[in-house]
Amino acid sequence: MIPDYSIGLLVAFAAAGTAFFALMRETDGLHRLLLTDLVEVVTLAFIALVGTDLAEALILPGLVVGVSELIALSEIYRVKEGYVRPPAAGLQIEVMESAPGILAAILVVYGIILSGFSGGAVAGLGVIFYFLSRSHNERFELIETASGYSWVLWIVAFFVFMLLPQHWFFAVMLAGAAILVKVMAKMSLIGTMRGGPNA
Amino acid sequence: MPEIGGSDLFVLEFGDILHYYTPYTTTLFVLALIFTALAILSRPEGQVDIAFGGDAYYAKETAVSEMRFRRFMTIACGLATMGAMGSGDIFNFTLFASLVGITNVGIVAAVKSRHVLDAAYEYGIVAMVATLPLFGGAALILATTGTLSIPALAAGASAVPLIGKALLALGVIGEGMAPFYAAKAEMFRAPGAPYVIMCSLSSLLIFLRVVEIAITI
Repeated sequence: MIPDYSIGLLVAFAAAGTAFFALMRETDGLHRLLLTDLVEVVTLAFIALVGTDLAEALILPGLVVGVSELIALSEIYRVKEGYVRPPAAGLQIEVMESAPGILAAILVVYGIILSGFSGGAVAGLGVIFYFLSRSHNERFELIETASGYSWVLWIVAFFVFMLLPQHWFFAVMLAGAAILVKVMAKMSLIGTMRGGPNA
Repeated sequence: MPEIGGSDLFVLEFGDILHYYTPYTTTLFVLALIFTALAILSRPEGQVDIAFGGDAYYAKETAVSEMRFRRFMTIACGLATMGAMGSGDIFNFTLFASLVGITNVGIVAAVKSRHVLDAAYEYGIVAMVATLPLFGGAALILATTGTLSIPALAAGASAVPLIGKALLALGVIGEGMAPFYAAKAEMFRAPGAPYVIMCSLSSLLIFLRVVEIAITI
């Protein structure tokens, strides 16, 4: 009987080999950038295979590093290829005119009930959809400020855990609410990424 | 356990994650600190190209906004290097190493030269792919030994697999660390002396540190 970890490792190595082979064959710059995502996912799979709480905590920084590299390289690609023209008007789809309000409201309310990381992701999805469908002439500094302050509250909650462990319930609530706002605010910005004055 | 770094001078503990400084890593840390201070204080060079076979020359001006961005990236690179020098946790070290990779791209990314941007893009792709062996190595070490703490691994409670060390070294090499500059040699054509030299110095320091880690654990 081969242990599950070894099978997983084997699959991950096979996926990595496939990704490297694809990168070797591909010559177009943009396609190679997209293919590096394949490698990033396998990297996260390597960490996830360990399957402990610690590994779960390590996935987030690994993901953040991968995403920041991807964003930096996309920006370099955009500048070096000289893509400066703003994108054309948004999608013209009927459902995107009528549905966003109610769908976004349902997702945001459900996200608030869930709270924490997953709640933030669900609520963020609702807000992304809303911004993606409607115009977004809003004050984005406000969203960013809210996101920044909630991140500070999240860190404060960690200090409460370390310094005043008897108040753990307060810290859990603080961290859950703060990370909800933080993840939702950051994700909602994705919905506005299509050029224009405020983006 | 070979102690190539000497005994600990200073240990900073955050729970079971700690930063420790031996004479070896302190030397590297101070070097990074001094160079970061120099990069903050100094002004960028004005690069001059002389046209071959004549008296003509081109002076390349560095705009203030470009200089600000590059100086910021240089300081970030210096901080990441300093973090990597003292880190007592393998995963933190790999994060710092990939942060150095990103900031190295950032240092030259503001230069509006197609040639330099092309080189930075190619290096960035290699650096991104190199996160696979880098994090993969750390994950393998965690899976086989159950800890990522360098002092705990050095104490020899459980043997670190050779493949884990090899992947870690391969990852650092892939991030373009000295002496494996192949991927980013062309990036150094970018003007702006103190900032571009930070790429070199940070890579050299990271490589010296990974050698110490690989021998110690």
